[in-house]
Amino acid sequence: MSEPNEPAEPRSVRLIFEYVGDQVSLVSQQPVDVAITGFDVPQEAMPGYHVEVRGANEQVLSRVPIRAEMTASREVFPETPGEPIVRVDLPEARGAFTVVVPAPVDAHHVTVVRITGRPTGVATKATAPPAESRAQVTELGSFALDGGAR
Amino acid sequence: MTTADGTVIGTTQIFGSASRNRAFNIVLLAEGFQAAEQAAFNTAADNFVTALRATPPYGHLSAAINVFRVNVSSTNSGADDPTSTGGTGAVVNTYFDATFGANGIRRLLVCNTTTALTVASAQVPEHSLVLVVVNSTVYGGSGGSVGTYSLAGGATEIAIHEAGHTAYGLADEYPYYAGGNETGHDHYAGGEPAQPNVTANTDRPTLKWNWAVAAATALPTMSNPDCSTVDNRPSPVPDGTVGLFEGAFYFHCGAYRPEYNCKMRALGVPFCAVCRQAIWNRIGPLATLPAKARTPISVVARYPEHLDVFAVAGDGRTMSDWWDAGSGWGGWFQLSGGIASPGGGGSPVTSISRYSGHLDVFTVGTDNRVYSAWWDVSSGWSGWFTLGKLTCRPGSTVNVVSRYNDHIDLFTTASDGRVMSIWWDASSGWAADWFQISGGVAADGAPVTAIARYRNHLDVFTVGTDNHVYSTWWDDRNGWAAWFRLGNLTCRPDSTVTAVSRYPDHIDLFTTASDGKVMSSWWDVRSGWADWFQISGGVASPGSPVTAIARFNNHLDLFTIGTDNRIYSTWWQDTSGWASWFNVSGGVGQAGGQVAAIQRVTDHIDLFTVGTDGLVYSTWWDSASGWASWFQLGVS
Repeated sequence: MSEPNEPAEPRSVRLIFEYVGDQVSLVSQQPVDVAITGFDVPQEAMPGYHVEVRGANEQVLSRVPIRAEMTASREVFPETPGEPIVRVDLPEARGAFTVVVPAPVDAHHVTVVRITGRPTGVATKATAPPAESRAQVTELGSFALDGGAR
Repeated sequence: MTTADGTVIGTTQIFGSASRNRAFNIVLLAEGFQAAEQAAFNTAADNFVTALRATPPYGHLSAAINVFRVNVSSTNSGADDPTSTGGTGAVVNTYFDATFGANGIRRLLVCNTTTALTVASAQVPEHSLVLVVVNSTVYGGSGGSVGTYSLAGGATEIAIHEAGHTAYGLADEYPYYAGGNETGHDHYAGGEPAQPNVTANTDRPTLKWNWAVAAATALPTMSNPDCSTVDNRPSPVPDGTVGLFEGAFYFHCGAYRPEYNCKMRALGVPFCAVCRQAIWNRIGPLATLPAKARTPISVVARYPEHLDVFAVAGDGRTMSDWWDAGSGWGGWFQLSGGIASPGGGGSPVTSISRYSGHLDVFTVGTDNRVYSAWWDVSSGWSGWFTLGKLTCRPGSTVNVVSRYNDHIDLFTTASDGRVMSIWWDASSGWAADWFQISGGVAADGAPVTAIARYRNHLDVFTVGTDNHVYSTWWDDRNGWAAWFRLGNLTCRPDSTVTAVSRYPDHIDLFTTASDGKVMSSWWDVRSGWADWFQISGGVASPGSPVTAIARFNNHLDLFTIGTDNRIYSTWWQDTSGWASWFNVSGGVGQAGGQVAAIQRVTDHIDLFTVGTDGLVYSTWWDSASGWASWFQLGVS
């Protein structure tokens, strides 16, 4: 092609959060020039923890899953090959995680949410119509995006 | 034991050359290495790169991977190692405050993840994965948002397993929570897990990894006869067989894994095929798509601020990319592991959106049977499943029309050229099998196109074996009409007849004559069919179809690739007639290639084609700004 120029790109922000149980706090936010693939902003509803980018009127602009576990357990690995990996329970979920979210001009704040309940069961027939969403969304905290980030 | 106990020395890229903003960037942080011990960390980092590249599929994804080591000196060497968990009792001052013995288990090695993420973000803001390498030969490690592992032999396996969770969203495939003797983990009773590598679904057609399952493989492949315990019997099938192996996701029964073994089940073994695909679909979208040279691109707008694009890679993989106004282009990913028929110009992926939260896609597979998959906002992508028993011409196109939201009609050609159709209706599912439409037979390579002007009416077009254009129609009162010839135009055998309906009682047709001339005809309820005529002297590259969209009921836009392989457009307006052809933004495509076009909002057009370098390009037109420059389609 003659001129492989790309259009103006949405800007991105890296966020670092800490959590204790369901208490989430924003540690830092940092504008970053990095591609956000469809893997990180899946279009389908997924259970689990997510960071939603919202506009001033609370409309959800994008939803980034938190892949790192926010669970009260840890994996323990065997020293000897062939022995099982096991999980141990923790007194409470505690840790930190990071996500990179798109920050288009109308992004106003981010909200950490927990989506519970599988949005749909397994489709038992290829012809099955889509199921109604049965997901429940719990908001764990909202944090303003810095103006400088957008 | 804080960041006062050391210094960040600096960052060195030790692997990869991908642009950092379009790469999977791995950051290795040194923990418990004193200033004089940095060489040991450097060696450990190099060893990690070697181990990673030797772990499929990472070796194949090297072009999109960068690895950085961040040298950090600590006041003391090693990590805390409490005696209460059998350790040495060492208490040391280190930058990331690493300690063995977390939760009373010596080999559970953890660090301050906030500090690790903060340092990584300062040193490599584009990081995708952060790992802390602890200067100790005691075996240990842990996962979470930051993987931590020691210098003990085999500990890099912990990092690679944990990356499976953190970077790709993979589930644990082991069938127990605490080794197998726990209670409450006999039978998984939850819904379908969201993770790509575990399932509760045993239905072959809808199994999310059905693309990887051979027809001869039994499902379930291995069932646990005693759900009170872990099934430790050997695999009944050879290593590498993908099927359904009961016992996964911390449960003895009711949850299944794709292969008998996988790195997400046990350390020291390869990732299974399904996990390899998940890794590929995380890193692959950062790269460009080498497309099949003449692959027709399909594009749909589920809603005005969103586009879904479908194409076929040079190796036949069925690929998709999407654009959303909120996040830009997502990057190319393989659609449910599909491979399209390579015959002829190659079968394309065709698509339709019947409503905003749903997509249906179709292609002809390498066995020349018709396959479909669907995506739903509530469940994501299904696996591919076959439609009927039809064997198509290699490389056939499956065209799709939805007369109303709960109905689909498909059209394609059988291996002997018969024009075939099948339908799906929400009330009855897919029809039992394909049927031939009114005895019609298409020329070799001619697709079958269709439009629905009303919910109870179809118009179908193709090039017949005599290379003339033929049509038939269906309505719910009379069924299928006999085929009839449209004028005396002689086409190429593989010409596409593109049909557009600007309003319900009008059809515009576009195709290419045997000498490449761009030709049109129309039908109107008041006057019937008009003769074919050449549009503005246009001549298309041999094999290139003519793409048409009607943005208004008195306006048409056409696109094709000319004999000089440039991308051309013209338009028709009722008040001014046909304009002259013009080159769109200097674009040049593939000889015989196609230009896909869509109007997602008024006064806006998006175009897609394969460029001369085999990559997919796009441009757009807006009434306010005119044509934009072409840009390579990948991730924004």
